[in-house]
Amino acid sequence: MSSGSSATSSDRGAELALFERLPDEAARADLVSMFLPLAEYLARRFDRRGEPLEDLVQVASVGLLNAIDRFDPSRDVQFSTYAAVTIVGELKRHFRDKGWAIRVPRRLQEVGLRVNQVLPELSQELGRSPTVEELSNRCGASPEEILDAMEAVQAYSTTSLDAPAGEDGVAPVDVLGEDDPSLEVLEGWATVEPALRELPARERRVLYLRFVRGLTQSEIAEEIGVSQMHVSRILAQTLRTLRESVDANPPRGGEPREADPDEA
Amino acid sequence: MQPHSGSDAVIVRVPSRAEFAHVLRAVTASVAARMSMSYEQIEDLRLAVDEAAGRLLALGGSTLLSLRLVALADGLEAVVARGAVDAVWPPAGERESFAWRVLTALVDEVAIEGDANGPAIRMLKRAPAADLAPQGS
Repeated sequence: MSSGSSATSSDRGAELALFERLPDEAARADLVSMFLPLAEYLARRFDRRGEPLEDLVQVASVGLLNAIDRFDPSRDVQFSTYAAVTIVGELKRHFRDKGWAIRVPRRLQEVGLRVNQVLPELSQELGRSPTVEELSNRCGASPEEILDAMEAVQAYSTTSLDAPAGEDGVAPVDVLGEDDPSLEVLEGWATVEPALRELPARERRVLYLRFVRGLTQSEIAEEIGVSQMHVSRILAQTLRTLRESVDANPPRGGEPREADPDEA
Repeated sequence: MQPHSGSDAVIVRVPSRAEFAHVLRAVTASVAARMSMSYEQIEDLRLAVDEAAGRLLALGGSTLLSLRLVALADGLEAVVARGAVDAVWPPAGERESFAWRVLTALVDEVAIEGDANGPAIRMLKRAPAADLAPQGS
């Protein structure tokens, strides 16, 4: 076991020697493998934000390559420090680019937030869910913009429509985990069961309320204390997650079966 | 299903890849909005089209994925279909699956269809009568 400090100084020597050999490809590859654990470590810190970890490691690796190419060994900065800053920058940029803030044009973000506000008001006034035209009139946006905003909400996972009552706040549903009836009821669908178990309690509860109890999106929104658009997003993304898990682990069988009497 | 004249149908075909399902969702939402469906009905139908597309894509193969929307007197009919695939359709136990549960909760009628030309899922979301012609001025 080498002590931390001596390992660091000898690593630093080896590191600098490699930098001196750049742009030699072998030296570059050695630097990459030397610091890949750092990239992986930083990628993991950005995990659980709705992006697959392997994608994040990929992004972090790009940051590492950039750091290697741009590092100036003559300056009195440890490469690991420089690399960490570059990698984190790359990861943040990735989230910014993929997220609501950049990918969805500002105008659409505004319309989305407006729809989010107006939906409960209008639903209450009308005593039913409003049409797109009614939303359009109330929001001062075209029907096309309303539709685009609806699609954007379901398509992007990093939106923050419900920050106060959502992922980061203390939503009433967070307390529900203990005696959550939904798992029991939802079980029995063998193909999705493993994925159901891995869902957060709130996501499972939304599925249960929608598909077992048959509540509408607005009723669910009221029951769990988030906006209707947020319910819509949870439904779209949870169904997608379940489908992907089924596709990844197809049920056993698949051999030709006998004719299904239902089909006649 | 009784045949339609065809002149009032909206038909879209996309490559059989998940990232194209959003085209089907967007077209569905647009047509449903023209029929003055409510926000919730549109969301339901859009989720249902997404789910049906996901079911048919899971069958594998590379035949096109299609959507056919027809305004009927009592609602909007959406048929999601694939060209011929090798997989068995419907898979055993399809009507007991979670996906089926999801579909039946989202729309008023669901039917498994398809023949040698390919699998299909037909859905109906009830809504007041309307046609697909552009509204307003």
